[in-house]
Amino acid sequence: MTNYITHPASFKDPSGFVFQAGGTIYRQVNQSYAATYDKLMSSGLYQQLVNKKQLIPHREITENLTQSPDWYKTLQPEAIPFISYPYEWSFEQLRDAALLTLSVLRTALSHGMILKDATPFNIQFMRGRPVFIDTLSFDVYDHSRPWVAYRQFCQCFLFPLYLEHYLKKDVQKILSAYIEGIPVDVTARLLPWKSNLSFGVWLHVYLQNTVQRGKKGGSNTNTVQFQKKKLLDLISHLESILQRFPEERTYKTTWNNYYEDSILSQDYLQQKEKIFRELCEGLTIQQALDLGANDGYFSKILAAGNTAVIATDVDGQCINRLYCEVKKKNIPNILPLILDISNPSPAIGFHNKERTAFFERTHADLVLALALVHHLVIGKNIPLPMLAAWFRDIAPRLIIEFVPKEDEKVQQMLSSREDVFDHYTQADFENAFSPYFDIQASKPIPGTHRVLYLMTRKNAL
Amino acid sequence: MIITSIFLYVDPGSGSYLVQAIIAAILGALFYFKNIWWRIKAFFFKPKKDETAGNDTVND
Repeated sequence: MTNYITHPASFKDPSGFVFQAGGTIYRQVNQSYAATYDKLMSSGLYQQLVNKKQLIPHREITENLTQSPDWYKTLQPEAIPFISYPYEWSFEQLRDAALLTLSVLRTALSHGMILKDATPFNIQFMRGRPVFIDTLSFDVYDHSRPWVAYRQFCQCFLFPLYLEHYLKKDVQKILSAYIEGIPVDVTARLLPWKSNLSFGVWLHVYLQNTVQRGKKGGSNTNTVQFQKKKLLDLISHLESILQRFPEERTYKTTWNNYYEDSILSQDYLQQKEKIFRELCEGLTIQQALDLGANDGYFSKILAAGNTAVIATDVDGQCINRLYCEVKKKNIPNILPLILDISNPSPAIGFHNKERTAFFERTHADLVLALALVHHLVIGKNIPLPMLAAWFRDIAPRLIIEFVPKEDEKVQQMLSSREDVFDHYTQADFENAFSPYFDIQASKPIPGTHRVLYLMTRKNAL
Repeated sequence: MIITSIFLYVDPGSGSYLVQAIIAAILGALFYFKNIWWRIKAFFFKPKKDETAGNDTVND
């Protein structure tokens, strides 16, 4: 028997499971799903979705790698470079994932099949666009039945989008608390009164909330009869709601106009870019992680050199704007994600293993931390030695900017609080990092007090 | 074909099917009246290229 490990998130669906063997991810199809899987493949649905780049392609392995008696087929899906989760996606990313789900559902219906679930965990971002990854989500369509995953679709996609749209706040983090989506009663209570004026909100939130409350302990609703025309009407309506959300998110956040509003000049940015390019010269980088990427200025420089970049920022608006740009300019190797460094995505779900922590998923050759350290030390009170030890854990190579107290931005930050940061000097910074890193270069940025460093992790550690 | 419970691992939940039936009925009525409106409009006014009787989106 081959040694294999079942994926900790793959336990809900009896149709099969995902497992890892020999460093490769496989998906087993069980006997109970054999007829449905054959229909997916023989109806032309699989091929059509793969041709449209909406479903992840796979190849069939003839071997029963798990030696399981339930085995029907082993699939080897195309490898996904980085697994991200909905609570790390911006509004546009979640909306595109929702539209993809509905598009896959429509195509499935035209082939006599339907989606039996509608969770954003079935979707990943690859080459700048969402792709459906759960090959076993399809079921044979019963024309007389409603869509079993309608409520799940609303909870996981529609409600978070409505909340962000009406509250004008980043709400993605809520999805890490409500792993199965935001319940309708919670959504109804959180939405402001003006959302009552929206027909879509009235129909999918308030009406659903009222009916659901009324049905508690009620009769078996599985007897409800449906028709395909009604289901297509429902899909059309959900699509029209999603498409009508305005593309530009206009509300102001701390960081969404950073480079435009910043007291720092364009000259600073050009000088920094010049030094950054010099530091990157000669480095072989497969995957980079840009922390505090803002609008992705430096991520785009790395991506132009064919490096795969995960660009993160705490501000959902910045990530949204970068995602839109990546999509518009067709940049396949930047994955923008929302990340609060002082409180990154934790391990959650059953046994705390279903969804892994952010930094367990990243394996970057190079980590960028540009104009970030002062926010973590002075904004979040993280001592420099702790910060250096953390960078040691995540960064084999590090390009990091030190912003001293003399800097105008730091002065601004200190103007509204007591300066308790006696150990925040350039010497303290170097002393904190040098036990873990070899400082290979340090270059002052002309016209500022800032310094850009290239560091490499010490092998002995 | 009858969907067996083994595949329904997502709990349809109380009210989910009923809600869809109600929503679909409301949407069906709206689409029906909208189609009639488009036909009346088309009878009196020459339709523009992008205005078709089969357009079935409902304003949010």
